[in-house]
Amino acid sequence: MAISRGSRAFRDISLSFDPHPVTKDLPILKNARAITRSVQNLVQTIPTERFFQPILGSDVRASLFDFVDFATAGVIEEQIITTIDNFEPRVANVQVDVDPQPDNNNFNVTIFYDIVGQEFPTQEFSFLLEATR
Amino acid sequence: MPFTKFTNLDFDQIRSQIKDYIRANSTFTDFDFEGSNFSILIDTLAYNTYITAYNSNMIVNESFLDSATLRENVVSLARNIGYVPRSRSAAKARINLAVQTTSTSPTMTLEAGLVCVGSVNDSQFVFSVPEDVTTTINSGTAKFDDLEICQGTYLKKQFVVDGSLDQRFILQNAFIDTSTIVVKVKGTSDSGEGREYELAQNILNLNKNSEIYLLQEVQDERYELLFGDGFFGKKLENGAIITVSYITTDGIDGNGAKNFAYSGRVTNNLGNVIVPSGDVTISTTSKAQNGGEIESIDSIKYFAPRIYSSQYRAVTARDYEAIIQSIYPNTESVSVVGGEELNPPEFGNVIISIKPKNGDFVSDFDKQSIATKLKNFSLSGINQKIVDLKVLFVEIDSAIYYNNAKVSNVNDLKSKVSSTLNTFATANINQFGGRFKYSKLCQAIDNTDNAVTSNITRVRIRRNLKTLLNTSAQYELCYGNKFRMDKNGFNIKSSGFGLSGRNGTFHFTDTPGENGKGVISVVKERNQDGKFEVVIKSAGTVDYIKGEILLNTITFSSTDKDNDIVEIQAVPDSNDVIGLKDLYLSFSVADSEINMIKDTITSGEQISGVGYKVTSSYLNGELKRG
Repeated sequence: MAISRGSRAFRDISLSFDPHPVTKDLPILKNARAITRSVQNLVQTIPTERFFQPILGSDVRASLFDFVDFATAGVIEEQIITTIDNFEPRVANVQVDVDPQPDNNNFNVTIFYDIVGQEFPTQEFSFLLEATR
Repeated sequence: MPFTKFTNLDFDQIRSQIKDYIRANSTFTDFDFEGSNFSILIDTLAYNTYITAYNSNMIVNESFLDSATLRENVVSLARNIGYVPRSRSAAKARINLAVQTTSTSPTMTLEAGLVCVGSVNDSQFVFSVPEDVTTTINSGTAKFDDLEICQGTYLKKQFVVDGSLDQRFILQNAFIDTSTIVVKVKGTSDSGEGREYELAQNILNLNKNSEIYLLQEVQDERYELLFGDGFFGKKLENGAIITVSYITTDGIDGNGAKNFAYSGRVTNNLGNVIVPSGDVTISTTSKAQNGGEIESIDSIKYFAPRIYSSQYRAVTARDYEAIIQSIYPNTESVSVVGGEELNPPEFGNVIISIKPKNGDFVSDFDKQSIATKLKNFSLSGINQKIVDLKVLFVEIDSAIYYNNAKVSNVNDLKSKVSSTLNTFATANINQFGGRFKYSKLCQAIDNTDNAVTSNITRVRIRRNLKTLLNTSAQYELCYGNKFRMDKNGFNIKSSGFGLSGRNGTFHFTDTPGENGKGVISVVKERNQDGKFEVVIKSAGTVDYIKGEILLNTITFSSTDKDNDIVEIQAVPDSNDVIGLKDLYLSFSVADSEINMIKDTITSGEQISGVGYKVTSSYLNGELKRG
């Protein structure tokens, strides 16, 4: 007899608020996309930015005005890993690759992680960190 | 899950409520993770709710006098019931000022404003007069006798009336003593600064020609002047010039100045400045006193409803309390006793004792001033008598047992106990109508520190007899509390004193008799063996039941204590002592004795109790005090 289980899917709302062209529903982010967005939010949230949660977020923005070199990249990498370890329990085996691009004055960040308890392949997403948002 | 709590003021609780709601009613799941988009939305919602709840709470709180916390709101609510909070008050000193001059002018005028500079605790304070003072010049000297000077800076402000309905007359300076405000209004037909307007407390007896102004406190402890509307009080005409002079003061800091250096400005009868030809001499009649801070929020909350209920009429004892506070801001505590309650009764009299904030006695000048002002509020036919404070001191002799395993330095523990007693005195006792609660004191001592295991505390009461040296006089001391009468005597003890025509130091003692009465005797300590001999067998009587000592005619020549004081102590029958009628109860920690005794049983040194130092719960059998 089959065992019925509740869905363990992760479902989050999209802050774009663009309605679905046909159903007019608000867009929903599921599973890997939801978690990716969450990790990105955490990295890009400045500590003290969220109400009554002053330690939430990472301080990578404070490093963006430093030299764009591997030393700064190391600091950013450390901060991102710490933030994800502290605030995102759904991922494990986090690896961060920060590639300084001095000519463009930015860092190319690539994050690798596994989703805990789900049969998804290792996730990867990249974004640019630069001195203006 | 339904929303049932509407009163949450905690952000986290609001947030968890929203999450609970979504958990039960939504297909979204990510709100539990801080990084999710949904979490951001929930935070925004919770923050919004939090701010709204906080604002609602504050609005409701600030709408009632009892719960308002912002001064502006408390003052505004008190204004609704006609209460004007007291302003900061300038310390006032009285001086005699003599200015030498070669001027031929018949008079000399000391101009309003800076008069002299006084110093307190190495700080300089300016003293001013709020209005011009004129005196005659005799033999080249102008004397300004008994001149009252106020601590603070004299300022002037002018307004031009523009006739608009929304014009406000706000004095922008902080720390104004409103009793120094002088308002003059110059109409089109007036000369100089115009006619002086009087401060009106209420609108009784006002008509359309009354030259009055009203005063109210507005934002940031500033004051606003209000003028008549043509029905109650004269209406200001367009273009009229209002000149307001006042003194801004340092309040309580100015108290105590008694040496002054002249810095004023004097003019002759034509208004020309006179330069003094010699030294300007200043002698101080009374040092600067009665400077006070602006009325506190707590005080406004306490007195506004009472002033309202008294309707500015002094009828009940509570009315007097409220009104005296408003006319003499330096009041700490007031006792009012109707003459019919006295023994013998004094019908038609009201006996008032005032404990000032700094010191024990109200000066004669202040007493007279308070009595005069009280006449405006009192019923006709009632005579107010302001009498000096009668202080009933409560002292303790406490043996405090401590566990020496829990304390490193016994002196620190003793200091802690002293500090506890001081706090206890301020919070519970030092006031008229106060009560010394024995059990509470014992509890407070026990709770001072974990090291205190118990205490044996004995209570005595004391009054200070102010003697008239080298003058024959009779004395009466009322304690208002029944005395304990030990048949063997030793109930009444005194500090030492000298008697006219006799050598040596003497003390009072008692011999109990029948019906709760006894005899007071004077004894002398012999130098050779330290024993006492009776010198005067019957020097007075003691009534143990009433708690009263009467001394027959006696002539003191000296006292062991300063200020011609003989301290006379008794043992109260009850350990709870009350301040009866006009007695001001004061817990004298300085005169109390604290003995620290090691508790050898609790600390484990002598668990059998052998060697444990036992303390008697009754006072000792010494004949003299101390």
